[in-house]
Amino acid sequence: MASVQLEAVHKTYGSTHVVRGISLEVASGEFIALLGPSGCGKTTTLRMIAGLEALDAGTIRIDGQEVDGASGRVPPERRKLGMVFQSYAVWPHKSVAQNIAYPLLLQRVAGSEIARRVKEALDWVRLGPFGDRMPSQLSGGQLQRVAIARALVGNPRVLLLDEPLSNLDAALREELRGEIAALRARLGTTMIFVTHDQHEALALADRVAVMNQGVIEQIDAPQRIYQSPQTAFVAGFVGGANRLEGRVAQGRFVCGGVEFTLPPGLTAADGPAILAVRPEALELGGVGPSLPLLARLFLGSATEYRLQLGDTVLRAVGPTLDVKPGASISLGLKAAHLYPG
Amino acid sequence: MKRASWALFAGLALFFLAPLALLLWQARDPGLRWTDVWLAPESVQALAGTLVTSLGAALFAFTVAVPLALLIARTTLPFRGVFQAIFTLPAALPPFILGMGWVSLANPRAGLLNLLLGPGTFDIYGRLGISFVLGSAGLPLVFLPTLAALSRIDSSLEEAARISGATPLRTLFAVPLPLALPAALSGTALCFLFAASAFGVPYLLGVTASPPTPTLTTRIYGEILMGQGGLPRAVVLSLELLVLAAGVLVASRALARRGQVRLSSGKGVSVRPMELGRWKWPLTAAATGTALVLVVLPLLAVALTSVQPVWGQLTGLSAKHWSAVLSNPRTIDATLRSLLLAASAATLVTLIGLGIALTRRRSLELLAGAPYAIPGTVLALALLIAYSRDVRFVAFERVTFVLALGNSLWMLLVAYTVKHLAFGARNAADGLAQVDSSLNEAARLSGAGPGRAFFDATLPQLRATLTAAFVVTFLTCVTELTLSVLLIPTGRDVLGTLLFELQSYADPGSAAVIACAFVLLVVLLQFVQSIFAPKEAR
Ligand SMILES: Nc1ncnc2c1ncn2[C@@H]1O[C@H](COP(=O)(O)OP(=O)(O)O)[C@@H](O)[C@H]1O
Ligand SMILES: [Mg+2]
Repeated sequence: MASVQLEAVHKTYGSTHVVRGISLEVASGEFIALLGPSGCGKTTTLRMIAGLEALDAGTIRIDGQEVDGASGRVPPERRKLGMVFQSYAVWPHKSVAQNIAYPLLLQRVAGSEIARRVKEALDWVRLGPFGDRMPSQLSGGQLQRVAIARALVGNPRVLLLDEPLSNLDAALREELRGEIAALRARLGTTMIFVTHDQHEALALADRVAVMNQGVIEQIDAPQRIYQSPQTAFVAGFVGGANRLEGRVAQGRFVCGGVEFTLPPGLTAADGPAILAVRPEALELGGVGPSLPLLARLFLGSATEYRLQLGDTVLRAVGPTLDVKPGASISLGLKAAHLYPG
Repeated sequence: MKRASWALFAGLALFFLAPLALLLWQARDPGLRWTDVWLAPESVQALAGTLVTSLGAALFAFTVAVPLALLIARTTLPFRGVFQAIFTLPAALPPFILGMGWVSLANPRAGLLNLLLGPGTFDIYGRLGISFVLGSAGLPLVFLPTLAALSRIDSSLEEAARISGATPLRTLFAVPLPLALPAALSGTALCFLFAASAFGVPYLLGVTASPPTPTLTTRIYGEILMGQGGLPRAVVLSLELLVLAAGVLVASRALARRGQVRLSSGKGVSVRPMELGRWKWPLTAAATGTALVLVVLPLLAVALTSVQPVWGQLTGLSAKHWSAVLSNPRTIDATLRSLLLAASAATLVTLIGLGIALTRRRSLELLAGAPYAIPGTVLALALLIAYSRDVRFVAFERVTFVLALGNSLWMLLVAYTVKHLAFGARNAADGLAQVDSSLNEAARLSGAGPGRAFFDATLPQLRATLTAAFVVTFLTCVTELTLSVLLIPTGRDVLGTLLFELQSYADPGSAAVIACAFVLLVVLLQFVQSIFAPKEAR
């Protein structure tokens, strides 16, 4: 268990500036999720922590010790970390037990001790009877369990996980997500978990760092990320909010030729602004502008409505109403966030 | 990594670039006008011989290989696996052995076919025969890439043609054929290059023919045999061959690139072979006939020759050649020498090739591939010129390194290694490209340093491709002929030169014994390799 600090870390590939000044403090034993759209630099950040990529500027410390920065770089094998890769990276020429034993072998752990700890690690990930199998005889979910056991068996200071669930089907993903939470509760290892799936991040992490285009937009506990997104990007990415560009004028929001009355408690100075409103925060048939309905999608527990507002399409979610595409629905704002435009 | 790249580059410069540069330098002889050499009647005849036989071989290989590949890759032709193995076999055999088989079959006076059907029915000597034998030997060069391209075409494309009303045969020509054509054409260009560089078969079927039909390679050989006077002319002629090779190679690259754009990577392609209907048995018969004539028959003829007491007479069987060859110290010496040289060259090729691939320098990879594209006769000539006298390197004023390679077996080892470096570099690069880099990274995170991670995680994934590189190089070198006849130290033999000498001058029966033994070795090694090959469909 160890803390991790990133200070103003930068990384460029050729002319593209991929990570642009990331600072992050991970406390010992904490579980942090790095959440963001594909290509925003999550993997690159994680790989710099692992030592698989060199940073261009900034400092990374693990347990207070500088591992990359002005005074040189510690190679990955001496950082005492564990990592789970999106592609599993289970060695196809070694059996399950040999895969898991490898980090212990390199730590020069005695043979009998290795056998005991491999068995223990197999039990952690519920692969008890599979030690002698070859990787080609395992399913994707089982392979990822082997990778997790291998990453944890050597008591790493920090466990790094790069989208460990995204190659699995939906049911397996749910199952393994639960197991990661359970393992974490049991071992208490510091974990940094990279994902593009907001549900995964919100469900698992103590704190979520939302990344966009190489910078962290907000770091907070999951509830706060969800309830008080600090930027329009966070609101859009985490809550699926509609993003409307317009202006505030005397307690109203004007956009695409229509006006919304701002909900009580939301005030802002007049001027250009971006309004973020979640689909479920739009009141169907409420007080507000009438917009033409483009399509109606039945979701099961609710129904989604697509409405035309100027040249954008607004998504609203609510009870099933008897309206046909082409009809108009009036919309009110139940809750929303405003950001400077 | 940087220092290793420079060391590899220096090695290639020393043993490939410098000799080639010296070759060009030699051609600058003031007393010799290039055009005089090129326009001399014998040279024109040799160039015509090379062009005609290479074109003939390439056309023949294309005409035979493409329909076969279509049938094997896209239809339910019976015994597809067997056919594929048979038509791939010539790739592992020296063309010279097929040539020997055809001499035994179709020598106008004494060939077995002519003994059966009356003298003079078939004549394998001359341009037609050379084209035919080189075409059969070069068949895999067209067959294998076409097969590979065809197996990346999804069957839904053909099924759409069938539903539109096309018969199975018509569908084959309408859909997979045009899609695989770029690969087939680039293979055909390589087959042309292979035929133009060939030495053994044109020598066997051209030089001893009456009237003799020279090609560029056999002319160059003849000039070199004439000693000092012939050498400058050999050099000038080899330039002609070099230009021809470069042109063909550029054409082949362009064709191959056109093909890449159109085909998928091969992932997620599903191939459901087409039923042939009433054409099934006629086509099976045709494929069987082709396999018999092109591959099985000449090999059987070699086997038969090895047990015929008197060459060219069907008079019972005898093991006298076998016992003579197997107890002859000269054969045993040559065999051991060849095995040792081939194993050393294959080891070097595999290791250096891996080193080149690991530097991930495109320039180095291209350079390593270049010697293979250069006709063996030209490469041997360049090495001969560069290293026939001592080459001295002076360092730090006092220390002198002497490279006295000429007339020693080291020269052959260098030549074999340089020539076949492409096998090692390409296989290792392909293998590395297929290894997921996270396998290595996982080892690093587990606590392994860069070297240890490479040995524990990456290298085991390369086992199959590296074994393949080793085996292919070994098999090619163990009976290598073109480089060997020019670079062999006087008074010694390797298998290739022994085969050449016995077949050309003295004793076809003994040559046949050696050829048979080699074919058995090939089959054995391919079996060993299949054990190491990655298991499919696990
Ligand atoms: N080795 C590399 N060379 C060049 N560009 C890279 C390399 N690795 C990543 N990138 C680029 O950096 C950006 C961020 O990549 P990555 O960190 O993998 O994103 P994420 O994991 O958030 O999807 C992407 O635009 C990607 O194309
Ligand atoms: Mg990623």
